Amino acid sequence: MCFHMTQVQVEEKKPEYKIVRYSPWLVHFNTGACNGCDIEVLASLTPLYDPERFGVKLAPSIRHGDILVVTGAVTKKAAERLKILYEQMPCPKFVVAVGACAVDGGVFYKSYSVVGGADKVVPVAVYIPGCPPRPEAILDGLVKLLEAIKKGEVEKHGCGDGQTQSS
Amino acid sequence: MSKVVEIPIVTTEVPIGPQHPALHEPIMLKVYAEGERVVRVEINTGYNHRGIEKLCEKNSFYRDIFIVGRVCGICNAVHANVYVRALEQILDLYPNKRAQYLRVLAMELERIHSHMLINAVMAEIIGFETLFMHIMLDREKVMKAKEILTGGRVMADYMMVGGVRRDIDEEKRSRLRDILLKLKPRVEYYKKIFEEDETITKRLIDVSRISYRDVTSHGLVGPVARASGVKIDSRASDKYDAYGEIPFNVVTRNEGDSWARMMVRWDEVLESIEMGLYILEHLPSDGNPVPDEKRLPRKFPPGEAYTRVEAPRGELTYYVMSDGKGQNPYRVKIRTPSVNNIINSGFMYLEHSLADVPVILASLDPCISCMERVTVVDLEKKTSYKVHLKDLAGGRV
Amino acid sequence: MAVEMDKHSLLESFSIGKGVVKPNRKVYIVEPGSIKKIFHALIEKYGYESFYLSTLIGTDLKDEGKIRLDYYVILLPEEETIVLRTHLPRENPVIDSIIDILPGALAGELETHDLLGVVFNGNPFLKRGAFVPSDLVEKGVYPLRKDSGV
Repeated sequence: MCFHMTQVQVEEKKPEYKIVRYSPWLVHFNTGACNGCDIEVLASLTPLYDPERFGVKLAPSIRHGDILVVTGAVTKKAAERLKILYEQMPCPKFVVAVGACAVDGGVFYKSYSVVGGADKVVPVAVYIPGCPPRPEAILDGLVKLLEAIKKGEVEKHGCGDGQTQSS
Repeated sequence: MSKVVEIPIVTTEVPIGPQHPALHEPIMLKVYAEGERVVRVEINTGYNHRGIEKLCEKNSFYRDIFIVGRVCGICNAVHANVYVRALEQILDLYPNKRAQYLRVLAMELERIHSHMLINAVMAEIIGFETLFMHIMLDREKVMKAKEILTGGRVMADYMMVGGVRRDIDEEKRSRLRDILLKLKPRVEYYKKIFEEDETITKRLIDVSRISYRDVTSHGLVGPVARASGVKIDSRASDKYDAYGEIPFNVVTRNEGDSWARMMVRWDEVLESIEMGLYILEHLPSDGNPVPDEKRLPRKFPPGEAYTRVEAPRGELTYYVMSDGKGQNPYRVKIRTPSVNNIINSGFMYLEHSLADVPVILASLDPCISCMERVTVVDLEKKTSYKVHLKDLAGGRV
Repeated sequence: MAVEMDKHSLLESFSIGKGVVKPNRKVYIVEPGSIKKIFHALIEKYGYESFYLSTLIGTDLKDEGKIRLDYYVILLPEEETIVLRTHLPRENPVIDSIIDILPGALAGELETHDLLGVVFNGNPFLKRGAFVPSDLVEKGVYPLRKDSGV
């Protein structure tokens, strides 16, 4: 991973991310998935894999969420919902795409009903490929996201500088 | 009409104000209540529509095996199996006995994990969280068994035309046997809890009792039908793969209420464990269950096949038509059991209280990971608020 | 067994042709107008408990100018699968809905209408966009038709 951020930019971004780095709360959103990734996300939040040692928990509502976990090949009907949900989240906020379908549409990318990937609708910070990815892989992706946030290295987000979309 | 309850397909908040909602999001179940009594139900669809049938027409017959496995992650083995059997009918090419036994083992392991999942969810909905955690922990054993057999915890990708993708050796066979033997007393314990514990029996018994005629006239299938005495099971009628040789019972009950629907599932888990043990004991050795992929025909003759399989949720059917002109199918039609069970079941909620709605919904075994938060619009007080499905079930609405 | 033979002869009395769908499903080819009569007769003579409608499959036979509808019925208690097959003209695929006598037909009729454009007269729940996304509905596209362009 290679980040071209100057020292000044890192200093400016750091205070915002302090909130997220200590206890990030997850919101899970299914945009038309087969439920394979959903049950693995559900499994990764159980005591067997112990996500709470990283401070990761399920948020009670969208307004308390820090990290949006997206599963599913984003169907056209779900795309509008995803955008509204993302806009409702308070900053700072980051999106994690779990599963091959959320990464780029998976096996469904040519379908008439599918937009094809969460990054066509919202800026995605971390991609976790797999069909479905194991709970260990999901936690690994989340931990990598948290470490990148701590170093102020995450560029793709929808807050600050008037940005609302990634490239 | 004093209350309207909307059960969404997705876990999201809908920003609706105190007036009648202007923003309609795709909700699966919209329940109209007079006080606590349900008077009308609307069921909506289409949120998960990924255009799979059209996609299957654009890909070759063999590629479609991977696409149809991803229709449902929870029951992917049965989807792949019924599609592959339709292809085998068109090609007139059949797997050997060892492959058939291994296929049945994969499908029965899937039945066990799916039934345990929905029973755990039902326990969670009525507030019995400890039981939810315990069942989910024991379910991890089944996920391990699935991984040993097929190579994947969730997505099996195990079926192929003419057989299965991998064989098992003696060590795997004994590991699988150990897991099933450890699982059996746990499942018997859970079944006893569902029979005796008042937390459960008080919430499930007598809730939405449906008759034999209700089931057949609405086309309901699976455990929902068998709990009302309708003895339908694709395994017993079509006797596909090795089901003609492996002894098992079709579990039915006569009560027809939500409790019976869950008990049928526990009994089926016990049947599946017995079948798994029988398979591991009597695995035939009539050759390699993995066919040679290079020898499989590339050109399909014209023909049509309609195959059925008993998925954990009910009768799942595939229709495949080949026009003999290319490498892609002309038509693939998938009818999942949930399409019949969910869309045709609106009548089951009427005249029940709001708190029973989540219980009835869970007893039908929909894809419940998609539905958690419920919107209640109180038309008298002109307010709307969000509650968890659990709170609706607990009467805190 | 005798009751089963009666059901088959009832179906045969309406059929204008026969066939087989693999592995062994008997197909009775009937006129579109007979579909509702057949279900009515089954219910009158044998009751609701004697069968259920498993699925309704529509297929676009573009080269023949027809849309084919297959009603897959499971006869009880033997659990035997039979097919009622009928053809509608592709330019105007209209047939009577059976939802008033058989509520279980709702799922199949909704789907066949939205994806293929078959009109089931008398079904008040039919609507476009039940499954298909709104941008295709606005263009009037039925995705499963062979000339839909999707």
